[in-house]
Amino acid sequence: MTEPHRFTCDDVFRRLDDYLDRELSDAEMRLVALHLDTCAQCAAEHRFESRVLDSIKGKLGQIKAPDLLLKRISKALDEARKNPE
Amino acid sequence: MSVAADPFEDQLLPLLGSAYHTALRLTRNPADAEDLVQEAALLASRGFRSFQTGTNFKAWFYRILTNAYFSKYRQQRRRGPSVSLDDTPELFLFGQAAALGMLSQSEDPAGDLVGKLDAEQVTEAVDRLPEEYRVVATLYFINDMTYQDIASALEIPIGTVRSRLHRGRRMLQRSLWQLAQDHGIGQ
Repeated sequence: MTEPHRFTCDDVFRRLDDYLDRELSDAEMRLVALHLDTCAQCAAEHRFESRVLDSIKGKLGQIKAPDLLLKRISKALDEARKNPE
Repeated sequence: MSVAADPFEDQLLPLLGSAYHTALRLTRNPADAEDLVQEAALLASRGFRSFQTGTNFKAWFYRILTNAYFSKYRQQRRRGPSVSLDDTPELFLFGQAAALGMLSQSEDPAGDLVGKLDAEQVTEAVDRLPEEYRVVATLYFINDMTYQDIASALEIPIGTVRSRLHRGRRMLQRSLWQLAQDHGIGQ
């Protein structure tokens, strides 16, 4: 089956989440990108959704595991090695 | 912590920070999160002989961690508030921003909405997700895992990951919108 040469707004709308997550095939990624280059409305939706995802990831950030937990795990692993079940 | 001395610890130790963060979002309690990570580390240590070298250690470890979570906290899984399962439309926040005229008034309408929420509020929105969506969203947002890695970790089809993640993100947008309104953002 041959790939369509262009995606419509509806094609892009249905693939927007997967496109943001880079979970489409290379061919589909290219077709979505091509549409976004030429459609201001879809491009605005894409920019907005991308920014929302980045903001959520940024706000959740990274949490360091407590040092005491790392020590507890290290000790537990040492004991498990000495006393295998 | 002692220097990693074996292939197991070489792979486990770099994951412990994100594992704790993941456990914290799953259990929503620091003490439970610590216990869960320690239990997962011990279970992984005992089961490491079954791990196939060259396959995805991260997905393998998170399968152990999430299984331990489901097993240990099954009785407590319905606690806490969660957002409505009613379908939230696609592009929910975008639609709200458009209705408020923010799209024409701001160069960064998404930043004006979500960017002004603090980390605690965004965390609260994730915590409000129903469990099956929260687990997938946590692996996605905190661990930056692909759909395939999440499917492997949770032992569910990739299509289920996709639908839970997409729907979970819409629910998350609804929660974020409610929080934004509660805090006078976007009004």
